[in-house]
Amino acid sequence: MDQQGQNGLLTTYREGWRNRSFVGVAISALLVAFYVVLYWEHKVQQHFGVAPLTAFSEAAGLRNRWYLYGFLYSVAMVTGAVYYLRRHGNSRYNRFRITVNVAIQVALGFSLPFIMPLFGAQELYFSYFWPLKYDYLYPQTLADLPLYFSLYTVVGSLLAAPVLAVLYGKRWYCSWVCGCGGLANTFGDPWRHLTSKSTKSWRFEQVSIHLVLFIAIATTFLVGLDWLIGKDHPAFHRIVAGDHWQDWSIKSFYGFAVGAILAGVIGTGLYPVFGPRVWCRNFCPMAAVLGWLQKVGRYRIKVKPGMCISCGNCSTYCEMGIDVRSYAQSDESFTRASCVGCGMCAHMCPRGVLKLENTWDRQEDKERQRLSVVDF
Amino acid sequence: MVAGMRIVIIGNGVAGMEAALAVRKREPRWDITIISEESDHFFSRTALMWVFSGQMSHRDIEPLERDAYERLGFRRVRARATGIDTVNRRVSLAGDHEPIPYDRLLIASGSKPRPGPWPGSDARGVGHFVTLQDLDWYEREVHGGVSRSGGPPRPQAHSAASSGDSPYRFREVAAEHRGQRARQPAVIGGGLIGIEAVEVAVAAGLRPHFFIREEWFWPIALDQKESQWISDRISRHGVDVHLEHEVEALETDADGNVSAVRTNMGRYESDCVVIGIGVAPNTSWLSDASIELDERGGILVDEGLQTSAPDVFAAGDCASVRWFDGTRRPEQLWYTARDQGRVAGGRLLGDAPRYERGAWYNSAKLMDVEYTTAGLVNWNLEREENWFFEEKAKVCSTTRVVVQDDHVVGFNMLGRRWDHTVLIRWIEERRSLRWVLNHLNDAAFDTELVPPLRVPRA
Repeated sequence: MDQQGQNGLLTTYREGWRNRSFVGVAISALLVAFYVVLYWEHKVQQHFGVAPLTAFSEAAGLRNRWYLYGFLYSVAMVTGAVYYLRRHGNSRYNRFRITVNVAIQVALGFSLPFIMPLFGAQELYFSYFWPLKYDYLYPQTLADLPLYFSLYTVVGSLLAAPVLAVLYGKRWYCSWVCGCGGLANTFGDPWRHLTSKSTKSWRFEQVSIHLVLFIAIATTFLVGLDWLIGKDHPAFHRIVAGDHWQDWSIKSFYGFAVGAILAGVIGTGLYPVFGPRVWCRNFCPMAAVLGWLQKVGRYRIKVKPGMCISCGNCSTYCEMGIDVRSYAQSDESFTRASCVGCGMCAHMCPRGVLKLENTWDRQEDKERQRLSVVDF
Repeated sequence: MVAGMRIVIIGNGVAGMEAALAVRKREPRWDITIISEESDHFFSRTALMWVFSGQMSHRDIEPLERDAYERLGFRRVRARATGIDTVNRRVSLAGDHEPIPYDRLLIASGSKPRPGPWPGSDARGVGHFVTLQDLDWYEREVHGGVSRSGGPPRPQAHSAASSGDSPYRFREVAAEHRGQRARQPAVIGGGLIGIEAVEVAVAAGLRPHFFIREEWFWPIALDQKESQWISDRISRHGVDVHLEHEVEALETDADGNVSAVRTNMGRYESDCVVIGIGVAPNTSWLSDASIELDERGGILVDEGLQTSAPDVFAAGDCASVRWFDGTRRPEQLWYTARDQGRVAGGRLLGDAPRYERGAWYNSAKLMDVEYTTAGLVNWNLEREENWFFEEKAKVCSTTRVVVQDDHVVGFNMLGRRWDHTVLIRWIEERRSLRWVLNHLNDAAFDTELVPPLRVPRA
């Protein structure tokens, strides 16, 4: 079997459920409904008198609905991984990326919270870092967590993640480790071609992702300040953190707006409508930071000059909405902040024009231009 | 520089569009008119097969956004050009369109499929796979309809003017007359378009006949060993490859639908036939103009892509340019059309860029197998020797290095990805075979984690 390149032709646009047909929209509606119940089950209970997910979890012997969610998440990832690898698993990079990502999520994201309490420890997610897991750098969280995990979180968020992003691009996290990215690249893969490639969507992404990053940093800062001075300034404390998690405060608003609405309901619920990376592309604060580091780091997509036939397979299957073709047909190797390094552009390219690589060397692009025949 | 120069470009393919973009980049006010018979939007002809299978939508194969004409101020004329008056500087159009005056004109009318020379080549159910209209026809024959989403509306009103020998006319669909989709397609012609037509039929679950006149598949690019290597893979996908078959006639049933292909070796039932025996410059509409053509219909141009008429240039598939070996013929390739379009753009601006073709290189994908070539391969040079290696490991590939007088002159590679710019540099540096084999992986362009090629020492 060939180890790279798309094997056979795909029938993407001949499958209605992948193209916003009635079935596709219905799947989306179901996902949105699921997330609404998951996040606001207490409201559902107030109005309808039942808490369906909790009831189901208890019947299944799970401690609460979040364990059920973790289980479903893992099932969705594994099923999606099988779907994906059946199509694109001939490529070694694809096999590596998907296998590592699923293994990490199932082992750490799902199993650990089950296993850790057996040893008397709390539920911890080693696979998430600030600012994606926005409360991991709240002083109260750090103080409450076991010391080793607090250290892990601080070093991981502020040192290891950025260094790895400079060396390997944001893909080390977004495509190999992260749970959100993992779900997008497995369960969400059937809809990857739906991500908008318009310049309008690019402009939106640049504003929205940095706006969320700003809010994440500001919220972390204010919550930290509250930890220091909140006891002496009750009004400030009420606005920033509140006394109960259900009270409206800046902290709970961030959890509601970013954590629940953008990452959950919109980010995952709308896979079948806007493609699988809505959250990662437009809102994830961690992706914003890693994107900057990627721009100054080694990672790039190398373009073999003069060979592109402008077919557009690369752009079509870019889940981040990057118009890869526009770079390929102008012979420009490039690094885009949003690129999560899934490698599908290189995989789909029928002429082997694209290659993901880590290199400090930017010089050779210039000397290669000699193949160009135009001399104005 | 004349203010308000009127630029007219015939053809909105890659050559015409690259030229238009080059002009617009520097002259925001010039009047640019683009005439196209085929489509409203610039699209990538190389990608028709993926629209057929559903891998891409019509929108996906358009490199520019749909508002590009408006945003860039290009005037779009959907019509068939019927001639050029080089004295009064006008392009005449079919139908009730007024002639369009120009100060500088670029002809980038591309290629048209070569018609079948056999009886029955015009029957219902027989077509080509080159234009958007061909795609539409072939999709209706095999799938019973076009793939969902993103399709430009069929330009029905326009197609009325596209009759006769226009490559952009809509063909009647045999499947619609029969009330049943094509079940046994046949493809005639063992070139790249032929294998694309075969591959998409396979993807639609059919088992097409593939008629090839030559002794082996694609002899212009592959030698017998390589071709056998490819043919084995094609056959494994369920294609009946018929080598050394000379087609004699296409038979039709009582209703006028194609029913069989008759060759020198036998009769093969078939309800849909794609003829892929090459393309010719789309220039027959120019026959009465004072623009010089070569014997095969290519527009003769000089190094600056200037035709025999003043301020008229030609670029892309329709232009007969000088090759690296000194001959003059059209280069029917995507990237040469792009490069010629850029040079033509410079000429339309009044500059004097020259089109110089460097060393030959190309790539293709033959079903699942990727192909890269560079330099002089299959030229049967004097004293040439061929070093060949077939890799039978986790990656299956073939490597052929052509050597003449102790230095490498060409590469033919199947199954792996190679950086042709490095291969060409080695040819220019006149490297020895031994040196090249020791450094071969410097030219590898495989995706990450693919194990490197190990070749035996020369």
